[in-house]
Amino acid sequence: MIRRSDLAKFDLWLIVFVVILSLIGIFTIYSAGFDAVTKINNGMYKKQIISFVIGLVLMFGIMVINFRIIEQNCFYIYIGLLFIVILTSFLAPSIRGTRAWIDFGFFSIQPSEFMKIAAIVMLAKYLELRERDIQNFRELFVPAIITLVPVFFIMLQPDFGTAMIFIPVLFVMLFAAGADITHLVSVASIALIALLIPTYITHHEWLHAETYNPVISFFQKGSGVFILIAVLIFISAVFFAFRFIFAKKSYRRIYIPATVLSIGLVLAVILQRSLRDYQKNRILVYLNPDLDPKGAGYNVIQAKIAIGSGGFFGKGYLSGTQTQYGFLPEKTSDFVFPVIAEEWGFFGALVVILLMFGIIYQGLKIALEAKDKFSSLLAFGLSSLFLFHAIINVGMVIGLTPVTGIPLCFVSYGGTNLIMCMIAVGILLSIKMSKSS
Amino acid sequence: MSVTSLRGRMLEAFRGKVFLFMSVTGGIFIIFIFQLINLQFIQGSYYTTRARSNIEDNVPVPASRGEVYDRHFDIQSSSNKVIASNRPSFNITTVPAKFENKKQMAEIVQRVAVLLGVDSFELLREMDKANPWQRIVIKEDVSFDIVVSIASHEELYEHIMWEDAPVRVYNYGPVFSHVMGYIGSIDPGEYDKLKDQGYKYYQKIGKNGIEKQYDNFLRGTDGSVKRIVDVHNRTEGEELGDEPVSGNNLVLSLDYELQNVAYTAMQDKMGSVVAVKPSTGEILVLLSKPDFDPNLITSKNASDILASLQSDEQKPFLNRAIQSKYPPASTFKIITSIAALEDEKWQPDWRYFCSGHYILKGLQDRSYQCYKGQSHGNLDMIGAIGMSCNVYFYNLGYKIGPTSIINYAKYLCMDKVTGIDLPGEISGFVPSKQWKMKTFGQGWFDGDTINLAIGQGFTSITPVALCDLVSAIVNKGIVYKPHLVREVRSQDNATVIKRIEREKLFEIPLSARTIETVTSGMRFGVTNGTSARLNYLKVPIAAKTGTVQTRSVVKSDNTQHAWFVGFAPFGGSAEDSVVVVVMVEYGVAGAIAAVPVGEAVFSKMISMGYFNDTQK
Repeated sequence: MIRRSDLAKFDLWLIVFVVILSLIGIFTIYSAGFDAVTKINNGMYKKQIISFVIGLVLMFGIMVINFRIIEQNCFYIYIGLLFIVILTSFLAPSIRGTRAWIDFGFFSIQPSEFMKIAAIVMLAKYLELRERDIQNFRELFVPAIITLVPVFFIMLQPDFGTAMIFIPVLFVMLFAAGADITHLVSVASIALIALLIPTYITHHEWLHAETYNPVISFFQKGSGVFILIAVLIFISAVFFAFRFIFAKKSYRRIYIPATVLSIGLVLAVILQRSLRDYQKNRILVYLNPDLDPKGAGYNVIQAKIAIGSGGFFGKGYLSGTQTQYGFLPEKTSDFVFPVIAEEWGFFGALVVILLMFGIIYQGLKIALEAKDKFSSLLAFGLSSLFLFHAIINVGMVIGLTPVTGIPLCFVSYGGTNLIMCMIAVGILLSIKMSKSS
Repeated sequence: MSVTSLRGRMLEAFRGKVFLFMSVTGGIFIIFIFQLINLQFIQGSYYTTRARSNIEDNVPVPASRGEVYDRHFDIQSSSNKVIASNRPSFNITTVPAKFENKKQMAEIVQRVAVLLGVDSFELLREMDKANPWQRIVIKEDVSFDIVVSIASHEELYEHIMWEDAPVRVYNYGPVFSHVMGYIGSIDPGEYDKLKDQGYKYYQKIGKNGIEKQYDNFLRGTDGSVKRIVDVHNRTEGEELGDEPVSGNNLVLSLDYELQNVAYTAMQDKMGSVVAVKPSTGEILVLLSKPDFDPNLITSKNASDILASLQSDEQKPFLNRAIQSKYPPASTFKIITSIAALEDEKWQPDWRYFCSGHYILKGLQDRSYQCYKGQSHGNLDMIGAIGMSCNVYFYNLGYKIGPTSIINYAKYLCMDKVTGIDLPGEISGFVPSKQWKMKTFGQGWFDGDTINLAIGQGFTSITPVALCDLVSAIVNKGIVYKPHLVREVRSQDNATVIKRIEREKLFEIPLSARTIETVTSGMRFGVTNGTSARLNYLKVPIAAKTGTVQTRSVVKSDNTQHAWFVGFAPFGGSAEDSVVVVVMVEYGVAGAIAAVPVGEAVFSKMISMGYFNDTQK
């Protein structure tokens, strides 16, 4: 339990940032909640206030109880939550095409949100246990399983945005835990090759279908690419064998790139040849929303209009035309940031970004000051969770990253997300307090 | 010890990585801030404009089209004859791009089509074809009740809008149909040509007649109202845009009373009536039959009526006064007379004897008849014009030769347009030896000459050109361009923006003797000849009739076109004179079909006091 001397280590700034950002969120949700015609508020802000209060209680509760309880029970928490997520994926009622919610009547819960924390705790615990062996490629297998199993079931719901957030968190936690950079870069490269080549080809076919492009014709026609893959596999197999026969580690420099390239190419070929036309269209619109201004591109275009028309001080609270006249979609959840940027202008948007940075900064500071590896990694993982939410959400609404449905932590409407974030902050506060106990 | 140092090294490594991570985080946030600066400041005005255009719906407020009055317009009077005016009404419109999807569009369009009684299938096809951001007029001229029922069910009629749209009214319907023309929606071809002149794709444009000729004066400038709308196009508020500027009014030279008399006199005959004041070129009457009611075809939803009129084989849209040409027949004897006298090859009192027949000598003699083969006896030129003796003019034509006649027909501009201020005028035709050789591969025969002399054969002229011919005689050789508009007035009629002055079309030096001989001949036609029916009128009339041999395609029995051309007062001042031309297609012998129409017009003019100075 908490002691008197611990109060000195109370992270007031983190709490202040979180509370201010959450209040900004509540006020914004209120503003975005008016019907354009009836001028009646949809009352979502009330639910957000309740969630905020629950979040505050849980935040301080965890701070007081100490995060070690979570550490000790992390395996059961993880397995239990995973079980609930799986059940949800199959049994929950479909709301707007997604089985992600458990409905309790007056409120509903999205278990996949809590899964984020559970997975981070599990990863931190495992990486602490395997601290010394983490350089070994085989050691990456368990962290991958810990992350990808929930990702798989969340994808089934399907909730692409929520599922996606796990992957970069896994990567940076492995990185922070001391995993071999070569391994991480190799895995990332495979994914990049497999995704970028089909994207590039699709984009090129759409832009200049007539012009000859040697890269594409090499990829699309004849057996050139298969010969290349075969040669690469052969090279990597030979040098992999050499590495053990001659016990020379330097052969890694040859067989690792060759293996990465060959696997990446194989996946790219499979992906490229299995893409349907509608999927290609999706990729194109994903990259360039203006191609489909009334469909998939509509949201981002309207978001950019909202932000751009905000100017320095904005159009005033409750006076954003994009917000109040309904042009901006999803304005309480994923597109809450444009509402702030429209009504409070650059000033308001900057405040939100700085508060978000402040929270992440405080989290990383706690990670540095934590006394054991588990605490450090946990604090680091939770901070990175906030960061990736912010990057993907803000990047999307300002038109820098593709459109993916992810809320902005503390600000977006959504009780489960807010409570999850407050719990994460509670854990951070707890880590900070217990560092010298 | 080694464990601690290893731990220490790992802690160092962890620190480094967190710092790196923090820097990257900071970098990404700085990129975000730069993008915000880009969106909100660098591209700020662009996005502000787009945000404005999201909520603004510019509803055009159509300018009221100028009114059109007859020649007796008086700003003080309350009984002016208003030929064309406007009546307030509404259009129901929509913009296809505003619908969320095709399904929603089809649903709402179907609903509104039922309410308005229009063809939803046709409408959807039009909406598919058009630029999706163009406003489409679903129905024109709907009642206020319909607007109310749409406005009170916004949820049923999302994206369906209404706007003020005055409807053009032609108060005397068919009486002025060819003069006024009509208006209609601008079609894509016209729009491409005219968009630089400020025309909009949704506007109405003059399609024919005065409406087309004076469109620039009549149309005015549309204004706009900015509606503030939400994403469902529901009205949040209104801001006033530009005020519409009404079009200018026109005062015509036409006389409503005379036009009406001519219209009544023509009954259901085919043909045309033109009356002109030679001293100015002002047109008092311009009428073509069959006619149409322009009120029925201005609406977009009247395309059926328009199409059936366009395909009518009697061609009601044809303005027969300026767009049809006929052989001048005996009216051409005026030109033959002028040619003979002006070239001094003949004297007015020189005579020919009419036995009822004329023998043209040649390899084989050919006999040409006078009217019904009756003998006119010994005639001088005045008598020959008055009795319309063919034999006299066969002889005269043969004597003076074709070149002289053709030259005078051309001096009198019978092969040119008159330049009347109406669209679509055609020119008449005067043959020549070269033309005949080129067209038929034959030389000019004497038979051609004597046909030319009496206006049968190759020559053809429009009724309005015949007006000019007689005007030349009445006005001592000066012909002013015939025109229908006297004044362009401001919207409140207080100021005259433009006064149409008389404009000389051509001048031909005619000797006093020529003028006296021809006019006396025409007067003789009224006192003793083919137009004797007009002899009783209190003001002396001079007239000439003509009968065109033709073959009817429509009627089977009557196979002659009838000309009547007259002027009054004979022997009066040129300033007061009025020339009247009547053409009746497929009438029976000029005198019977065309003369009563001329009589009616002259009689009305006399009773209205047109010739009061002469009567005193």
